[in-house]
Amino acid sequence: MALTPDRPGDPPAAAPTPDEGSSAIEPAGAHDLIVPIVVPNTMWASVDPLAYVGGRADENTHLRQLEASDLLRKDDARWGALDVIPTKADYVLDLIRANSLWPLLSGLACCAIEMMSAATSKNDMDRWGMFPFRASPRQADVLIVAGTLTTKMAGPLIRLWEQMPEPKWCVAMGDCTCSGGRYKRSYSTIQGIDRVMPVDVYVPGCPPRPEGLIYGMMKLQQLVLERRGHWPERAVGPTVPDGV
Amino acid sequence: MSADLTTARHASSDDPRVMLEEAVGVFAPIPPYPPRTEREAEFYTLGDGEMFINMGPQHPSTHGVLRVVLKIEGERVVDLDPVLGYLHRGVEKLCENADYHHTIAYTDPLEYVSALFNEWAPVMAFEKLMDVEVPRRAEYIRVLSGELNRIASHALFMGWMALDLGGLTPILWSFIERDEIVDMLASLTGQRMLFNYFRIGGVNGDLNHEFMSRLGAWMSKATSQIEANQALLNENEIFVRRMRGLGTLDREAAFRLCMTGPNIRASGVPLDMRRAHPYSVYPDLEFDIPTRQEGDCLARYLVRLDEVKQSIRIIDQCLHDMPDGPIMAKLPRLMRPRPGRAYAAVEGPRGQYATYAISDGTDQPFRMRIHDPSFVHLQAVGLLTSGNLIADTMAIMASLDPIMGGVDK
Repeated sequence: MALTPDRPGDPPAAAPTPDEGSSAIEPAGAHDLIVPIVVPNTMWASVDPLAYVGGRADENTHLRQLEASDLLRKDDARWGALDVIPTKADYVLDLIRANSLWPLLSGLACCAIEMMSAATSKNDMDRWGMFPFRASPRQADVLIVAGTLTTKMAGPLIRLWEQMPEPKWCVAMGDCTCSGGRYKRSYSTIQGIDRVMPVDVYVPGCPPRPEGLIYGMMKLQQLVLERRGHWPERAVGPTVPDGV
Repeated sequence: MSADLTTARHASSDDPRVMLEEAVGVFAPIPPYPPRTEREAEFYTLGDGEMFINMGPQHPSTHGVLRVVLKIEGERVVDLDPVLGYLHRGVEKLCENADYHHTIAYTDPLEYVSALFNEWAPVMAFEKLMDVEVPRRAEYIRVLSGELNRIASHALFMGWMALDLGGLTPILWSFIERDEIVDMLASLTGQRMLFNYFRIGGVNGDLNHEFMSRLGAWMSKATSQIEANQALLNENEIFVRRMRGLGTLDREAAFRLCMTGPNIRASGVPLDMRRAHPYSVYPDLEFDIPTRQEGDCLARYLVRLDEVKQSIRIIDQCLHDMPDGPIMAKLPRLMRPRPGRAYAAVEGPRGQYATYAISDGTDQPFRMRIHDPSFVHLQAVGLLTSGNLIADTMAIMASLDPIMGGVDK
């Protein structure tokens, strides 16, 4: 038994090259192990190479090791590399996603009223395909953070964001979520939600008008189309490419 | 509790990203610390067949970021514990570091659906501190815009009430009404929601042509439009039978809980700050105080609908009696009131908004305390829901109409 070189875990000694085996169809079970077909990943690349380390210089690359370790595994849905890799199907599916954005029904404060106003009769967001406000994060595409984010609410909001399936986008609505706004100096608020989660579109205003939110969502649609098949890593700060 | 950011850290000193070392927002119903009060010890001890269920802080019908721990037995709610603070913005502390004009911008977003009343109470308190005589035209403009804001707030209440019970249509109708009023106020104040319009000693801008023309167009159809909105729910038998007799709050309990506004008026107490402690020009205006005797959810709903009609009546009188004159008192730009303390209360759409300010002679308030009706009314939720179904918790909470911005300040 020790003379047989093939163990179940080892690759077969002589795998057929594509030239040899292309003409004959071999029966199943001819080899102990089926060699997996590995397609080289040409679709997924970093759009912005600076985004991976947040635009910092090389001396901070230890963060990359930190992210590779198990320490930060729970944060993968928020920062750094994505857990999923978009395929060629996503190039087509993003067309559909852009035209049917499902926001999460989650309001924190004042801006939530204007978000509801944008969804109801007068300014009907449904006309641009952004309507069905889902109450469950499992069914939502877009997290519209509407209102002041306090330190106590930050944990639940991050949890909501992590529960949303990829691909997902985040719209920061209002001054409080963009920078802290009028409560920037408070002891209990977070000065901009981009400290705790990545943001795609910022809609400033205190609160922004419903038309402002709809404009921001249209910009998000444009951004989704711009990045069809290329989902960038989650980084700090606005991730809007040039021209959007 | 693991819900807060005590485990958060930054990956490096110049990295603004907040990293969390453990799963966040996972709510264990029982807090990890030993009970601090007898009430906590009693609530967090499970009886036979009881269990805890967590609702919020992200829940479509908690009117904001309220977390409620329900103790249930089967489908019945045995007891309930609201967990507050998810929207605590530290307004009172910020006001101590802002000068008297700036505090208006901080108190504005407390109850964001009726922002004018959040400006009115501190402005009145500061006027008492400084002995300012407000011009009569300014008082009329305040009453006019305030009553418009009250109608917008009650319109939203009607929509939310139906939404929490599962009806989607009324909120679409009430937002039409709300958007009209709010656009009208935007032409007067420049903002749709957080108006920042009242000033110490007057208001920011005079009535303009656009506002008056919008108001005239709206007033001509207001009564019929509001009645059409109300017919949606008042004549809906499912709604009425569900709400009648639900969450009954009697007169004594309402007094004991210090409730104000429509919630106590629905229990048969005609308490209205506009009549009990008259302020502004309300003594000169004619209006009734609608009351109901039942004290249930339907009564709380109907009292608010009756208030809308009285508000329209007040607006009519304001437009008729509006005097000419200045809209701002003559005041120094830098205000240093004499040391002292002042308290002012106004009747908002949810009850009594009040501000208690202490001055130490500088240009900033030494202390400022904000009394908000939503916080007081939220006390009643535990009393009213015990014994009801879980689904009725939302109905009772919607009928009390708390706004979490005001509760958490």
